[in-house]
Amino acid sequence: MKKTKTTAANAVALFWVAVGVLVCYGATRLGLGSVTEPGSGFIFFWSGLILVLLSLVALAESLRGSEEGIPQIGEMNWVKITLVLLSLLLYAFFLERLGFVITTFVLLSFLLGLIEGTNWARAFGVASAAVLGSFAIFELWLKIRLPKGIFGF
Amino acid sequence: MIESLTSLAIGFNIALQPQNLLYCLIGVTMGTLVGVLPGIGPTATIALLLPATFKLSPISAIIMLSGICYGAMYGGSTTSILLNIPGEASSVVTCLDGYQMARKGRPGPALGISAFASFIAGTVSIFGLILLAPTLADFALKFGPPEYFALMVMGLAVVAYLARKSMAKALMMAVFGVILGCIGLDPITATPRFTFGVLELADGIGIAPVVMGLFGIAEVLENLGVLRKAKVFAGKIKGLFPNREDWRRAIGPIARGSLLGFLLGLLPGVGAIVPQFLSYALEKRLSRHPERFGTGEIEGVAAPEACNNAAVGGTFIPLLSLGIPSNAMTAILLGALMIYGLTPGPLLIKNSPDLFWGVIASMYIGNIMLLILNLPLIPMWVSILKIPYSYLSSFIILFCLIGAYSLNNNTADIYIAVVFSLVGLLMKKFAFEPAPLVLAFVLGPLLETALRRSLILSDGSFLIFIQRPISAVFILFAFFVLVVPLFSKLRLARGLSEED
Repeated sequence: MKKTKTTAANAVALFWVAVGVLVCYGATRLGLGSVTEPGSGFIFFWSGLILVLLSLVALAESLRGSEEGIPQIGEMNWVKITLVLLSLLLYAFFLERLGFVITTFVLLSFLLGLIEGTNWARAFGVASAAVLGSFAIFELWLKIRLPKGIFGF
Repeated sequence: MIESLTSLAIGFNIALQPQNLLYCLIGVTMGTLVGVLPGIGPTATIALLLPATFKLSPISAIIMLSGICYGAMYGGSTTSILLNIPGEASSVVTCLDGYQMARKGRPGPALGISAFASFIAGTVSIFGLILLAPTLADFALKFGPPEYFALMVMGLAVVAYLARKSMAKALMMAVFGVILGCIGLDPITATPRFTFGVLELADGIGIAPVVMGLFGIAEVLENLGVLRKAKVFAGKIKGLFPNREDWRRAIGPIARGSLLGFLLGLLPGVGAIVPQFLSYALEKRLSRHPERFGTGEIEGVAAPEACNNAAVGGTFIPLLSLGIPSNAMTAILLGALMIYGLTPGPLLIKNSPDLFWGVIASMYIGNIMLLILNLPLIPMWVSILKIPYSYLSSFIILFCLIGAYSLNNNTADIYIAVVFSLVGLLMKKFAFEPAPLVLAFVLGPLLETALRRSLILSDGSFLIFIQRPISAVFILFAFFVLVVPLFSKLRLARGLSEED
């Protein structure tokens, strides 16, 4: 088990090395300029380089097997997390098309009913109340313009 | 001094206007609420309410947002004492003795001393703010780009040093934050940088969706599937006023906690969490009976509660006098000041005295409101905790989505919030801390501008950072903070962990 965790920590450190390298590469394409006149990529290049160096230190830490490098990746409910993230992306996609009221009602019903396991009648009730409440607070009271969508609400 | 007091009187005149009183009340109430509720903190709340403040005057807006900052410190202690669950990270230490006091049948005095300590410390830090901020702002007028660059580097170094996990990882997050913060158009040449042709990224990534994702949605994702049923203290809470013996024992820790919190809060990068641990450790060392700490000692509640409130006041000094945020919470406030068209920095006090003194006066009024409102309302805050977490988590997600969207009325910000929620979740699981990322994210563009200007000033010589005395001191401090842990195991965080 510990070996798996250390491998995951190593992979994470290597991921950050790759990110640093990519940032450095992108920075060189933007143009580094010179020290007398730094270019658009100057800060990115040096940040990327420092990121690579620090990632190597983190890699060394995890190879040494220090506690600090050990992740707890196995304890999460990845199915639910994926479903929630997908639902949020769909929410963003449909928000301006269908409007705040409908998309938010569907999202909250989904989160309460399917993800949190509340019984569906209660989920619909709470979702309706939350949609109306948040609409009243944000749109009517705080005058924040929430998207109306094709149905006009 | 007399000039400051006159300005403060004008500040009270502004803060006591009915509209500002109302927004102060809303701010401290919201702050207490999010302080009580685990899962959403003041940082995400400020980001959430930011769009709602656009129609207000900047003074009313900052009064309300500041109220959330210090109100959360009051609220956080309630759950620490009654549930052994800190509502805020800065109330973690209060659990140790506060919960034990509640178990021994003394929840009232624990809550009472916590509120009074918070009030006293809040008062101390406001007076410190009055005395120090204008002086520091005058001093900071001498700062040029090298001094600002060095100061920001020092702040980031301190954040990394105080990381409770790996320091290398904290620094990685700081560097990553700088990279993310600099995405968008080059401030000098207007060249798009790392925008990948996405129009929405040309103005850079907004702080609100980042904070919503990292601190709000990520927290909910982490707790998915975890059964969180809070065991709310069932007994009747009575006797909120501590007795004479309680006061005798608590007054010293309150004084020391206030002073320590305020002084540490001044340092860019420290925030309110670490001072609380230090304050607890200090009281334990000074106590004749250190073995009793953790069993319900009132000193163990009074000192850290005073400390975290005083630290909040302290963190406002670098923010208002230098334009440098100390933690994620003040980083959002810095963003707010910029959105309102104000230029944070040493000239803020001179150019916008109404805002500076009005906000300070409102903090004092807000502290009084918290003291008056909080103690009688404790049963109401406790009843809020009885709302099932499944409902709360869904509402937190909803508010985060609205907060991310409404700043620019752009769904791209929701996508960004969702991406950062996954980033935040993975960061938690792989032991990366979000605070250095957020701080560096806000400081990134300022850091870049200061660096480039410094190099242009010095004709390309990095020696400018050590040739100018003020920046040399900052750089030396940052170097000391970064290098010492390489040779020593005496890192503060480790020491604190052992102390725990």
